[in-house]
Amino acid sequence: MPKEKKYANLEFIMHPKSVAIVGASDNADKIGHIIMHNYIDEGYPGRIYPINIKSTGTIMGRKAYKSVLDVKAKIDLAVIAVPAEIVPAVLDECGKAGVKSAVVISGGFAEVGNVALQDELVRVAKKYAMPVIGPNCLGVMDPRSRVDTLFLPTFKIDKPSIGGVSFVSQSGAVGSSVLDMINSEGFGLARFISYGNAAVVDEVDILNYLMRDKETKVIIFYIEGAKRGKEFIEIAKKITKIKPVVIIKGGITEAGAGAAHSHTAALTGSAGAYEAVFRQFGFSIANDLKDLLNFAKVFETQPLTTGNRVAIITNGGGTGVLATDALYKNGLTLATLSKESEEELKKTMPSIVNVRLPLDLAGDADDKRFSEALSVMEKDENVDALIVIALFQTPGADSKLAASLIQFGTTMKKPMVVISMGGSYTQAHRTMMESSGVPVYSSPNEAADSLAALIDYSKYRKGIV
Amino acid sequence: MTLIDYMEGYRILKKYGINSVESAYVESADEAVKFSKGKSIVLKAISQNALHKSRSGLVALNLSSDREIRSAYNALTKRAQEFKPFKVLAQHMAKNGVEVIIGGNTDQQFGKLILMGLGGIYVETFKDVATRVCPISRRDAMSMLMQLKSHKVIAPDAAAEKRVIGLLLKTSKMFENTNIKELDLNPVIMHSNGYEAVDIRMLD
Repeated sequence: MPKEKKYANLEFIMHPKSVAIVGASDNADKIGHIIMHNYIDEGYPGRIYPINIKSTGTIMGRKAYKSVLDVKAKIDLAVIAVPAEIVPAVLDECGKAGVKSAVVISGGFAEVGNVALQDELVRVAKKYAMPVIGPNCLGVMDPRSRVDTLFLPTFKIDKPSIGGVSFVSQSGAVGSSVLDMINSEGFGLARFISYGNAAVVDEVDILNYLMRDKETKVIIFYIEGAKRGKEFIEIAKKITKIKPVVIIKGGITEAGAGAAHSHTAALTGSAGAYEAVFRQFGFSIANDLKDLLNFAKVFETQPLTTGNRVAIITNGGGTGVLATDALYKNGLTLATLSKESEEELKKTMPSIVNVRLPLDLAGDADDKRFSEALSVMEKDENVDALIVIALFQTPGADSKLAASLIQFGTTMKKPMVVISMGGSYTQAHRTMMESSGVPVYSSPNEAADSLAALIDYSKYRKGIV
Repeated sequence: MTLIDYMEGYRILKKYGINSVESAYVESADEAVKFSKGKSIVLKAISQNALHKSRSGLVALNLSSDREIRSAYNALTKRAQEFKPFKVLAQHMAKNGVEVIIGGNTDQQFGKLILMGLGGIYVETFKDVATRVCPISRRDAMSMLMQLKSHKVIAPDAAAEKRVIGLLLKTSKMFENTNIKELDLNPVIMHSNGYEAVDIRMLD
């Protein structure tokens, strides 16, 4: 048996030059059909080999094979969607045929108590030292290499555009719904990995791969449990020094706490241990799925800052007050403008504008008034970060305002987030801003919470408490 | 897991430079009086069969006169009969201060964890605690303190902060280097010029 590597190599899974789809079928109800359809539909540029034991010539118009052994060409990845009981045999054929990697979509293993069958799968994978994702998973998606092993019909899911956020999900259900939402949040995807039972490739392998992956700037992660605790800590220490990881833990059970002998044991159940690890090693903890998306956008686009003095600029007074409250709820403070900034604003702002934070530019503020205020805040050393509230229902707010916010939000050395809420006119401008790299939020609390996550992470990177 | 003898725990703390109130086993009312040296003491009956001493009526607090000590000793040993075998521990009364819990637990997945929070009777009510994986750095200790809602109660000034951070680092080191699997120092009383661990529970 070949020596086991510390980390599995996922390169052949993410960037295969050729793919065998085992379980491919002309029958549109079969999962293998949907997977193959997606490969063709998305214009995957490599070779596709449909494999089906019952095949009689072609599947979806392409030459089909009864086994990977019949292909007689290099296969980088086998996507396996056949009944669970024959998966180990199929995987063994893949090993014999020299297939470099596999994704096992099929369910029916340890998740339903079929541990022996999963052990058999692991044994085969180890025999050939083959990296295998799954079983019981959606697999992977990579908009750059156009690899998509997901069995989700393309018309049912908004495929994310290309970007810098990688999304890892133990669960396929969480994976597909969050993936569907990514597109409407206006940021792009680097890699998606749904790894199911983690029988062979586990979270430690995946984090190790994404740490080295140049396309991945931010990781969002839905985890239920880490298989290798010590190695998980080891990789966590390294990766969070390089890129932010936003994490959410599912399955917070306190089994066993009832039998504890001490206060401490009762207080630190399994969930407490995960929280401790996340906090200690620099993960950003998301409390719900929406946080994963909210934090991802600010991390992907905005610079780090360890200061927590936030300036608020608004064209609506009440929203400015709510945003100020939201700052303090999230451990941030409202900045105080320098004397120079006050003087400058007094010169440029109309008399109806009271020169103090939160700076209410009034309901008739246009892009010029916003830009003047923003250029003052940009220079002010008492301001570490900015929240701009742009209510597009007001007469002065239009596409020129969105363009100005894009200008500042993508060039400033300080992080800036925007709050805009409203209907279709607002939505159109949100999309403009988000696709240009300015994070936009629907509520003051989401904006402040996301900014706080960015600041906490920045402090961790600098070793500040 | 088995409970480590109280006085053995007391010695382990001492070895790692962690202060705890002066304690000794006493086998008679006379020995208890002798231990007090004229100061107020506490008597506790300790038994593997009684996990909650105060709930089982096995603690007598603030005993100052010889007469009080003698009568408390006799009453305590009578009540403790149902938890046999037991020992009687005498301790000097701790000074007043803020009650803190410092604890340790061993997680199947991640190994030894250390915990700190507001202690004493508030542990269960507020659950204001912070946890990290051992070993902890000074930064980790500081971030544990800052994570607590009660951090200003536990460490109202720089000197108190330094004390609690030092205690946390020492406890982490002790927990890491021993076979102890679960640990409660609850409460540790933080007062204006020091601290003392008052109750020790260690399991290995």
